[in-house]
Amino acid sequence: MKLELLHGSRSRILAAVIFTVMAVFVVRLFYLQVIQHDHYLALAQEEQLSQFKLPASRGMIYAKSGDDPVQLVMNETVYTVFIDPVIVDDKDKMTEVLKKVAGGNLRTGFEKSFDRTDSRYQIIATKVTRVQADKIKAEGLHGIGFQEVSQRVYPEGQLGAQILGFVNAEGKGNYGIESALDEELKGNDGLLKTVVDVSNVPLTIGNNNVRIPKQDGKNIVLSVDRNVQSYAEQALAAGLQRTGATHGSVLIMDPQTGKVMAMANLPTYNPSEYYKVEDAAAFNNDTISAPYEPGSDVKTFTMAAGIDKGVVKASDTFNNTDYIEVDDRTITNATKGHTGNITFQTALTWSLNTGFVTVAQRLGNGKDITKSARETMYTYFHDKFRLGQLTGVELAGEAAGTIIAPDQVEGNAVRYSNMSFGQGLDATMIQVVGGFNTLINGGNYYKPTMLDGVVNDNGDYIQNPTPQPLEANVISKSTSDQMREMMQTARSSSFGHLDKPGYLIGGKTGTSQVIVNGKYSDTATVGTYLGYGGSETPEYVIMVQVSGKDKQLQGARDALPIFTDISNWMLDYLKIQPKG
Amino acid sequence: MSHQQSNYYTSRRQQNWSRNQNTTRFVSAVKLGPVAHTVIVALMITILGLIYLTQATRATGYDYESQKIDSQIADLNEQKSDLQIENARLTALETVKNSSVAREMTPTTNTQYVNQ
Repeated sequence: MKLELLHGSRSRILAAVIFTVMAVFVVRLFYLQVIQHDHYLALAQEEQLSQFKLPASRGMIYAKSGDDPVQLVMNETVYTVFIDPVIVDDKDKMTEVLKKVAGGNLRTGFEKSFDRTDSRYQIIATKVTRVQADKIKAEGLHGIGFQEVSQRVYPEGQLGAQILGFVNAEGKGNYGIESALDEELKGNDGLLKTVVDVSNVPLTIGNNNVRIPKQDGKNIVLSVDRNVQSYAEQALAAGLQRTGATHGSVLIMDPQTGKVMAMANLPTYNPSEYYKVEDAAAFNNDTISAPYEPGSDVKTFTMAAGIDKGVVKASDTFNNTDYIEVDDRTITNATKGHTGNITFQTALTWSLNTGFVTVAQRLGNGKDITKSARETMYTYFHDKFRLGQLTGVELAGEAAGTIIAPDQVEGNAVRYSNMSFGQGLDATMIQVVGGFNTLINGGNYYKPTMLDGVVNDNGDYIQNPTPQPLEANVISKSTSDQMREMMQTARSSSFGHLDKPGYLIGGKTGTSQVIVNGKYSDTATVGTYLGYGGSETPEYVIMVQVSGKDKQLQGARDALPIFTDISNWMLDYLKIQPKG
Repeated sequence: MSHQQSNYYTSRRQQNWSRNQNTTRFVSAVKLGPVAHTVIVALMITILGLIYLTQATRATGYDYESQKIDSQIADLNEQKSDLQIENARLTALETVKNSSVAREMTPTTNTQYVNQ
């Protein structure tokens, strides 16, 4: 039977209605699915997709302990505990549990948080450890939450605090290595963008998932030896107590590589409680950030310049009258009585200013500190020994200091006469030690460095290649040999009995005047000692500085004993054998 | 619906079969109409959809498994990290200096070296 829809029949009307409705559906669906495709896709993705940050772990910082790396700075996950006062149903039990498990971490007056029902988020405890958090979670309390926070921990306490710096609450490194190498240490966070279920569990379905893996920060190994650092801090503290100084610094460096072995400053602070420090000066690493007039330590640089230019030798003589005139100024010796024709060795041993003004004169025409003499001194001090310029050591807050060039008005003969014995210029301890290395290691300048290598993801220690001189033959080997001998003679003539026998120990005292309100103070001096030690070759350089407000501190009396203490210990620690 | 079997003659020109093989073939007389076709296609789509859903659900199951393992790894890493910190604290200089073993030690006196 052939069915036909008759015109005007109900079936035909129904078919027309269905067709119309279906047409409306098709048009509507076409509009929604094709024309509005992007809009609804975006809405759907907003609902289904979640974005997670994959936080990178901040790199750890290691020191050396002999040849092995040991952790100085690590990361620990702690928890901030919060409550939702609206949901908390048993505040007595919660209070009891919290006091029992994390009593020391509770905020003062945390009980009041339970009554703050106008808020859904009240922090009641901070820095709760994982073990504590697990115990609290096990109690099944309602209305309590835990927020993970990563914090730095310092197993060695405040050892090397100014070297390390700290990481603030925003996760940014401040001061020291933490600031200087912030980019390397912090790594890069990863990203996971994916479809999630109702419990926020990431699912692999969907085509728009994005996974960018995190890159953890580098684990950095410092050249600092924790045992040397610890001993230096201990010896410095004892020295300050003995002398009455309030501030002190010790810098120990390997003169054959430029690697810093220790860098101690007092007063110091505990980096895990940096927020409790009242005087921000405690954060400063004075060995790199406090330029000062180095005083008589600089006489070794003047002597090296004179020997290297061939105008003086240790055994050459000059007529010492305990004073010398430069233009309209008269320069006198602090130690008097060694008058007459004396050698430059005697001038170094007794730290006679006149001897080094004479060296400066001999760099010119022999009578005056001419422009040529000043240019030579500037070349040696600034360009070769790199005083008054940043060393580039991997620490934040390094200061450059100042060496006045001879073409400036202030760079006259009087200034350069003062510079010959360590006044009229500003340099940091690290600059002085960096230049001093050159005087004793055969004449090569090594860039001071704090870094020794990295620990990779597998926990293997990858040591950096042995540093090469930044500039070789800054002074001749012969000059370096002579300087080493002169400083050894200077030390042994008065202080040799303090050293262990059979070793190569040399050094120079320094007592610097302090500038207060633009004038040299009569009531305060800074005492320093700069020396080296070893057997066949120098294996360490130690510089000690002590100071204090209205304290007249001297290199020989106050800084030298600290050097001696550390030096004698270093000989044993480094297992250096005495010569025959 | 009745079933019929029919033999159709196919000329040699039309067929490309080899010699001495049957020159007749079976052709079903069952004819599928458009409705049947639609139903079959719909069924096929449904079955394929079900297969897809089964696989997708299985993959999602793996996601939960993976999430669980990830969570375990994170827990173990945290425990490892805690133990490393504890180890570092126990071997720190201050701890060693204050240990009972260190307290029993005496300072070194003369060090002598033997040349090899």
